[in-house]
Amino acid sequence: MSASANTTVKKNKRTFGEWLRSRDGQRVLVMLAFLIIPMVLLMVFTYIPFAEMVKFSFYNMKYIGARKFVGWKNYIKVFSRKDCFGALKLSLYYMGGSVVQLSLALYLATILSFKVKGGDVFKGFMFFPFLINGIAIGFIFKFFYTRGFVFDTVLQWCGFQLDSLPYWLKDRSINNISLVGTSVWRYFGQNMVLFIGAIMSVDNELYEAAMLDGANKFQQFRYIIMPSIKTIFVLNVILSISGSLSAFEPPYVITDGANGTGTYFVVMHEIAHTQQKVGLASAMAVVLLLIIFAVTILQKLFFKYVFKDGTE
Amino acid sequence: MKLKKVLAICLASAMTFSLAACGGTAAAPAPAAEDNTAGEADETEAAEAGDEDAAEADAADDGAEETTGEVPTYTQLNLADYGDVSATIKFLHHKTDRAEDGTMDKMVAEFNKEFPGIKVEMEAVTDYAEDSLLRLSTGDWGDIMFIPAVDKVDLPEFFMPFDTYDNLSAELNFVDNWKYDGKCYGIPYMANAQGVLYNKAVFEQAGIEKLPTTPTEFLDDLKLIKDKTDAIPLYTNYAAGWTMGAWDAYIGIVSNGDDTFMQQKFAHTAEPFKDPGDDTGIYNLYRILFDAVANGLIEDDYTTTDWESCKGMLNRGEIGTMVLGSWAYAQMQEAGDTPENVGYMPFPMTVGGKQYVNAGGDYNYAINVNSSDENKLASLIFVKWMVEKSDWCYNEGGYTVVKGGKNPDMYAAFDGCEVLSDQPAKEGEETLLNDINAESELSFNAGGNDKVQRIVEAAATGSESLDDIYTEWTQKWNDAQEELEISVDY
Repeated sequence: MSASANTTVKKNKRTFGEWLRSRDGQRVLVMLAFLIIPMVLLMVFTYIPFAEMVKFSFYNMKYIGARKFVGWKNYIKVFSRKDCFGALKLSLYYMGGSVVQLSLALYLATILSFKVKGGDVFKGFMFFPFLINGIAIGFIFKFFYTRGFVFDTVLQWCGFQLDSLPYWLKDRSINNISLVGTSVWRYFGQNMVLFIGAIMSVDNELYEAAMLDGANKFQQFRYIIMPSIKTIFVLNVILSISGSLSAFEPPYVITDGANGTGTYFVVMHEIAHTQQKVGLASAMAVVLLLIIFAVTILQKLFFKYVFKDGTE
Repeated sequence: MKLKKVLAICLASAMTFSLAACGGTAAAPAPAAEDNTAGEADETEAAEAGDEDAAEADAADDGAEETTGEVPTYTQLNLADYGDVSATIKFLHHKTDRAEDGTMDKMVAEFNKEFPGIKVEMEAVTDYAEDSLLRLSTGDWGDIMFIPAVDKVDLPEFFMPFDTYDNLSAELNFVDNWKYDGKCYGIPYMANAQGVLYNKAVFEQAGIEKLPTTPTEFLDDLKLIKDKTDAIPLYTNYAAGWTMGAWDAYIGIVSNGDDTFMQQKFAHTAEPFKDPGDDTGIYNLYRILFDAVANGLIEDDYTTTDWESCKGMLNRGEIGTMVLGSWAYAQMQEAGDTPENVGYMPFPMTVGGKQYVNAGGDYNYAINVNSSDENKLASLIFVKWMVEKSDWCYNEGGYTVVKGGKNPDMYAAFDGCEVLSDQPAKEGEETLLNDINAESELSFNAGGNDKVQRIVEAAATGSESLDDIYTEWTQKWNDAQEELEISVDY
């Protein structure tokens, strides 16, 4: 007892230089040296600009020119304007799209993770859209949906009459679904590859054991695959949901946010850059951040209960 | 296990956090040191103004000379005296098409024959209206640029004045766009007259002999084109966005014949969107668009229009008319084999028995106030050469910037029309229109494309009547007037 007390006293008496040369000190030093570069990058390019943006949200300001402190006024406007929260309703379309996207990805991933003829080719084809630049995809689909162009032609081959086909981007009842289609097309391959990776890591012996116990394919999926890919699944869901809250590229490139397709981000861009109301746009960004926080926490709670009986 | 969960939550929130912050930073970067410099600039500006008052008794020239130091003013500069100047200057511009087809390089090569010592570097920016503002706020953009949408009070902070308004306006047209405190900070590279593009062959085929002069006649003619030809009567170019905003160019002089309306009265008007009842005014301007869409006189699927291909379509006679400024004329001619069929006519609106044409400067050259004196001088030489000797304005089909210069033939149909340009805003109200545009978010002539797109949507789907839209605009306009404490005088 007294011996150990003695050593601590001794340690405290060491000079800073000695401590630095000791094993403990070296360890801390190495840790700091490795951490400092990523931390500085993170601070300079993420947290400091973010703090600036939060500051901007309390000002009435343009990019250049004088600024005026207005307190909470920008936030009150975000909640009282029709276009800000009206735009969030469009996110429901994108969330619906992400459900389709994840189920499709999970379904195909499960099939492709067993031995399938030409499996790698399919994987390649389905992952390919994710490699294309989002703006290029926008332009591709702009022509894809143009009246009498690609999509209509393909449907006509299938026996549809041009007159009975809707205008994919003009008709307000379906134009958002058309846009969501492009983002599903782009991202489901990426989700699928992540799922396949996770499924591949499942030990083959588990399937054999399950087969010996008489489990069918669905039961294998339900009780072996799902629990093993839980982490990846939750991550994919969280990314897709926050992604659908902040959908930007398809509506911005294809329709320029016109004709009832302006999502929250497109409205924010319009307010920040065309109207030059930087303070209001910053407030919108902060509000969106809080919404994404809330949604993410809700999802975590939700999955906690969903997976509870799956693992037990 | 618990620790893992906590870690997972932290990771997930950190990721969303960084994502959201990315979105935010896109909207956020702005100079932090701005406030200081703005204050200083204001002081020096005030001092200069004082100087000028004192010097005014002598001569305006002297006053101008004092404020710009060693660099002569635009009117003092005699190009012949400066053949041996050497410097490297950078010119930031938006004419990506002219950079690609070599026109810019050709002009600079021509310039270098007279001024071999001045090296001109050029950068063409695609999304100029937005990017140039960001570049401007960082200060890293070069020596010459085209002035983006800044407030006039900020002009002295960024740009060098060319000359006093009185001196400059004696030699050049349309220099009042960027006039502040009696000095001009910008000179337009070309000027546009606002009219309507049409295809002569289509008009002939439809049996239209006399160009329309009122909205009602114009709509009747569009109907004729639809009935008698295969052409699209009016191509909206809805999808490109900015092409819809082009309709705003006709709200002042063209629709009411008043050259003080846009800059001086508009912001003070209580009901600018009221129907005057005689086929004129802003009401009937957008009514053309609304009625054309409602009666199916536009393209079939407006959401997938394509700007690049519409040029050839107008040239070939697949499009009857397009509402765009005269700058588009040259591009339409180049886009196909029948340039002789591309015509340009005054906007079909007659106010008090007369058709009015609004002519005004396009983008304006401006010189960086923070450049070195030799770069300022070289830039000034370059700008003066471009304005007076390059023929750029004429080649683009522009209205002449130099007083007494030649005008292209395309303006033949404008004979007998009254050509006016907007009077500058009253003293102290220079930023008023910008302010009310931003506050009301209608942004007339300032990128307010979505409000015009909305007219097309409303007419096509029947979701709103034109009167509903105007009621809402009036409401927004009046709210903005109240918010900014603008007096309502008209």
